[in-house]
Amino acid sequence: MNIYFFWVLIAFLFLSQLLLLLVLSFRKLLINKKEQTISQQYDKLTESFSSYMLDSTDDHFLEELYNISHQTIVLERLLNHYVAVTKGSANSSQVTQLSETYLTERYTKQLKRRNWAIRMNTLYFIEDFHMKSLTPFLKEKLHKSFRLDQETQQLIRTLTSLNEPMTLSVMARYVDAPVRLYIDVFKRLQLDIQLEELDAALKNEHNNKVLKYAAVSYIGMTGLMGFLPRIEEELLSDDEELRIQALKSIQHLQYISSPSLLTPFFHSTSWQERMFAARIAGKLQLSRYQEVLSELLGDSVWWVRYSSAEALTQFADGDILLSHLSANHPDRYARDMATQWEASLLGSEK
Amino acid sequence: MMHSFFFVLSTLIIGYLLFSSLSYLGLFALAFRKVKNENNLVHRESTEILLRNQNTYPVSILVPAYNEEVGVVSTVRSLLALEYPQKEVIVIDDGSKDMTSEQMIKEFKMTQIPFAFRTHIPTAEIEAIYQSTIFPYIRLIKKANGGKADALNAGINLSSFAYFCAIDGDSILENDGLYKTMKPIIESDGQVIVTGGSVRIANGSTISRSKVEVIDLPRHPVVIMQIVEYFRAFLIGRLALSQLNILLIVSGAFGVFNKERVIQAGGYNKNTVGEDMELVVRLHRLLREEKSKQRIEYVPDPVCWTEAPESLEVLQSQRIRWQRGLFETLWTHRKMMLNPKYGAVGMLSMPYFLFIELLGAVFEFLGYFIIFGGFFFSLVDPTIALIMFIVTILYGSLISALAVLLEELTLHKYPKVSHLMRLYFWALTEAFWYRPLMVIWRIQGIFAAFRKTAHWGDMKRKGIST
Repeated sequence: MNIYFFWVLIAFLFLSQLLLLLVLSFRKLLINKKEQTISQQYDKLTESFSSYMLDSTDDHFLEELYNISHQTIVLERLLNHYVAVTKGSANSSQVTQLSETYLTERYTKQLKRRNWAIRMNTLYFIEDFHMKSLTPFLKEKLHKSFRLDQETQQLIRTLTSLNEPMTLSVMARYVDAPVRLYIDVFKRLQLDIQLEELDAALKNEHNNKVLKYAAVSYIGMTGLMGFLPRIEEELLSDDEELRIQALKSIQHLQYISSPSLLTPFFHSTSWQERMFAARIAGKLQLSRYQEVLSELLGDSVWWVRYSSAEALTQFADGDILLSHLSANHPDRYARDMATQWEASLLGSEK
Repeated sequence: MMHSFFFVLSTLIIGYLLFSSLSYLGLFALAFRKVKNENNLVHRESTEILLRNQNTYPVSILVPAYNEEVGVVSTVRSLLALEYPQKEVIVIDDGSKDMTSEQMIKEFKMTQIPFAFRTHIPTAEIEAIYQSTIFPYIRLIKKANGGKADALNAGINLSSFAYFCAIDGDSILENDGLYKTMKPIIESDGQVIVTGGSVRIANGSTISRSKVEVIDLPRHPVVIMQIVEYFRAFLIGRLALSQLNILLIVSGAFGVFNKERVIQAGGYNKNTVGEDMELVVRLHRLLREEKSKQRIEYVPDPVCWTEAPESLEVLQSQRIRWQRGLFETLWTHRKMMLNPKYGAVGMLSMPYFLFIELLGAVFEFLGYFIIFGGFFFSLVDPTIALIMFIVTILYGSLISALAVLLEELTLHKYPKVSHLMRLYFWALTEAFWYRPLMVIWRIQGIFAAFRKTAHWGDMKRKGIST
């Protein structure tokens, strides 16, 4: 073994590290300095920015913005902070106007960058600032994409928020498009278009099951009562998943036109159906089901027992019922569950 | 004869140290792009979507506690501040001898409740279950002592939700930490079954109300060295393994698990001190044996802050425990080692943990032995001893110093130039004091694995949050 080789090796490595250390320190200095300047400029412009947002004829802010070195970054931060703290800012015309005037060029360039994080951030900002002018560019980008990765998913969300329902048909190209993403899309659509699309999804016009699940789930989440009869129809579907989604939706809507629609679900072979039926009976205080809830308290599945006991607590005489069941139910697990929920009622009264 | 034996041994060790150094670099190259990419993401933006999404899965947070009367209340408080739509907090008092339960009961006005829970995994006797009257989703299990794994299993039995996370009493989770860690699970629609959040050392920084206010370096060299060590393990080892879906460690300090999968795998193993690692390996094994497409993921963004030991005594017992846990895990699952049936986990990850993380200490120890023997007792040719010395510095100090530089190149989490300088220069000293200490303790850990005396790690806490 040649000792000189090792000396040279370690000396070389050490010296190159020292060089890298110097370069990195210098870079850190520069970055810190730049960051300091940006935050100074940000602080300086905050006041005039606020006045401009209140009254767009006060163009003092625009003058100031024109004179600073980090124009786009400072503006991006101001707008981002504004949208984050102000309710209803999504449709602020000033935000859109400012961002379209000053950031369009920057964002078009950024969307072509190789760095994934920069492209993602840009998509978030375009959505937040509602920059409609970039729609054609984004559409083209979406048409070119061939995988439903995180970036494409965000692209779909951003485009939808710019009122482009065409994203739904693009999503249909991907068999693996998740319910979650369809819900995100419904959420971003304008109300009139949203209702149309929900209607189409329920009719299953596009023969897309996942889209239909998402529509049923979304209707429940947002409490669109107008669709209740349509949701109730789905309780008769042959598709178990769809029935479960419909039950979940009804639980959220907290209404059912004819309680007898629930009856078959208490004895369903699917435990999820039994569980949701129990929950709905509790939430809507359907006292005709008290007896069947007492039976389900001894169900073989823990979640069904749990939900049945919880449902019983919702009734005015729930404490008496549970106290009776905790002593007299033939099933040991049912008695335990009743005791637990009876105690929770006592706790809440304290 | 004796000389030629030591010559061969020296060559072997020098070869090993050079090879490990190179493999570190290879692993870093693998991870580089992901770190660089994700680091620029505006996380506030990407978690916002989940915050608004009602389909976000609810999570049970398990806090195993043994003699934690000082910290348990503040830990639970910090968990209440977490931004997450639906969660429950379950503290498991594993037969503490101090006032852990009493503190909880007093602070959160808890009352004893009968609770009908499912015994998925058998545990030591449950003495009582309490529920808070102010926050009904905080519960306390008082049970007979059975060790940390047993405590976690009891928590799993009592938890109501499909996902749980386990957090140590001495850790503080950032406000959006649970979101960031759940994100891969939600976005993969359940295909990801475990996520490990990366943990950072809190000493020196100012944390208040679960938010890091000022990031600074601690003064204590022992803690600075642990930060350097963490960079080395994180940037050069774990991230690359996670990229390949073969990461074996999800830190005990913070991870989210799919409950059903964990129950299927049999819960935490009570017979090892490295229960977190052992569980992850068992889940990998389960997935491979089932040929499942589900996976385990590591979130590179730091989400959890923990207090690193400042005293050598506590550090020693921690390292002995870690090494022992590693040994026990590798031994339990030795069948997977170099077994092509287990894919990259068996072929790459298990050997990595055996040769680099476990046996590395033995090779390094022999290296130090030869340096001493060569210089003072002419055990080997002094030239060989000198080469060994150089290579040891390369392996111990220069690689760590490189890790500091690479951190600055990619994540640059410490804001000042002086931080970078201090970290770098302390890293250079590693081979001369910190590493020999670690090597000795790690070897003690291997011996301890043969003796098997399970106990909770005792930690003198100062508390990290104000």
